[in-house]
Amino acid sequence: METDILNKINAKFEVEGEMQRERRIWVKIDKEALINLCKFVKEMGFEHLSAISVTDWLKEGEYEVTYHLWSYKDKILLTLKTRIDRNNPNIKSVVPIWGENAQIHEREMHEMFGVNFEGNNDLSPLFLEDWEGPPPFKKDFNWREYVREKYYDRGNEREISYFEEV
Amino acid sequence: MELEHIGKNEYELFFGPAHPGSGNFSVKLKVEGEKIISARADPGYLHRGFEKLMEYRLPLQNAVLSDRICILEPLNWNLIHAEAVDELMGIEIPERAKYIRVIMAELSRIQSHIIWYGIISIGTGFDTGFKIAFGYRDYILDLFEMITGGRVYPAGYICPGGVRRDLPQGAEERILKVLEKIEEMLEFERMENPAHLERMKGVGVLKLKDAIRLGATGPVLRGSGMKADVRKDDPYEVYDKLDFEIPVRNEGDAYARYMIGLEEIQQSINIIKQALNDLPDGDFIAKEFKKPKLAMKIPEGEVYVRNEIARGEAGIYMVSDGGTTPYRVKIRGPSFLHMIPVFEYLLKGAEIADVPAIYWSLNICPADLDR
Repeated sequence: METDILNKINAKFEVEGEMQRERRIWVKIDKEALINLCKFVKEMGFEHLSAISVTDWLKEGEYEVTYHLWSYKDKILLTLKTRIDRNNPNIKSVVPIWGENAQIHEREMHEMFGVNFEGNNDLSPLFLEDWEGPPPFKKDFNWREYVREKYYDRGNEREISYFEEV
Repeated sequence: MELEHIGKNEYELFFGPAHPGSGNFSVKLKVEGEKIISARADPGYLHRGFEKLMEYRLPLQNAVLSDRICILEPLNWNLIHAEAVDELMGIEIPERAKYIRVIMAELSRIQSHIIWYGIISIGTGFDTGFKIAFGYRDYILDLFEMITGGRVYPAGYICPGGVRRDLPQGAEERILKVLEKIEEMLEFERMENPAHLERMKGVGVLKLKDAIRLGATGPVLRGSGMKADVRKDDPYEVYDKLDFEIPVRNEGDAYARYMIGLEEIQQSINIIKQALNDLPDGDFIAKEFKKPKLAMKIPEGEVYVRNEIARGEAGIYMVSDGGTTPYRVKIRGPSFLHMIPVFEYLLKGAEIADVPAIYWSLNICPADLDR
């Protein structure tokens, strides 16, 4: 079953596919071909978008966007991975394909990593209120420094002992 | 609740985040008279940034941290985290540990479903149900205290490699006794209750097509007629060796979801009885973790682990670059989708009085939404 699905994808797209174990397929794809592949796998039965995640590969200067998809029909988890430039993080939205489900995942990833999902019309803040710093889940975001600057109350004895010793 | 006048008959109503009927979560309702025109969820009250915190901690520390992802079912979150680390490190878990993990996860599910019943009852004006539920839940908390040491938070009892301690002496008999008590409570729950019937029948109807599009999982999806359960479809631990059924209903309303929760308690009881019966002897933790080294390296790789918890599908995506701490952890909580897209969708066109019934019928936990 797993190899069947991989073969079908391989026949139409240039991908690097791997079967990790039973019921787990990982596929690497170019950013440009992603949307077409998404449409293709949705039609194959991957109806449930379990999660969208971003990994910040600081050394390579890239973000890796991952889409975890589940097929209720075939009972297989397919993960699509694509890399985008970290300094210019733009990627096409998958909202037209998976609807509101994708919308909310993209909104979260936009807030946490600053990835811009083109075509998603609501990327307003979700969890953080009045946040002025950079997207907090970026690897180069120095949260210790941020807290020291923003929230350190120098008049408070207990806080002095905490912050000065660090 | 705050009320703001915005039009001739339109008001904006702020429901939560410290409202007794809402949990630590708020939603902005635009209402015309008694009818809700639109709803917008406003989460973030419980955001603690677990995903970032875990990047700075060792797996053994993360095991303790993973309790806190959801207050109502810490053991299930323990299990998911442990499975992610196990799979990344390629550790073979002793058979006994797998059975203990399943027993604990199912006890946790029953306990969580009992809270669900209690909270639905108070949301629909049936206080007795609330008190009965929390009274019976205490029996399970006593078990948790005996086995893990903590009543609510097990402090990483299910840890990478297995479980932290073996079942203490006499635990099996006590679990069976508690299950008898829970069955007693189920008798009470099964009585048809006018408060539940009137307030939930036909309220908050979610069609199967919408449920899939909005990303619903677990009891919410099964209440809409889809036979899907991660324990059956994507089995982990020893679920493929156990015999149990997946309750499904087609109505898609709040009452269907509530009935699914009730039937799942019975299924969990059956699972625990089977697991106790088959419980093998042997080690309860893999030898690599018997005396864990602090600077244990996690091999490079990535995994996506899914589990069925009481609320639906939970997942952890863990990436390691070969260091001692995970490079990236993504936590997928079922409430994330139930509380934002599904809830917003169901509220549109509903009556204000139905908000608590719809809200609690989704069995949601703000903690695993905000993380």
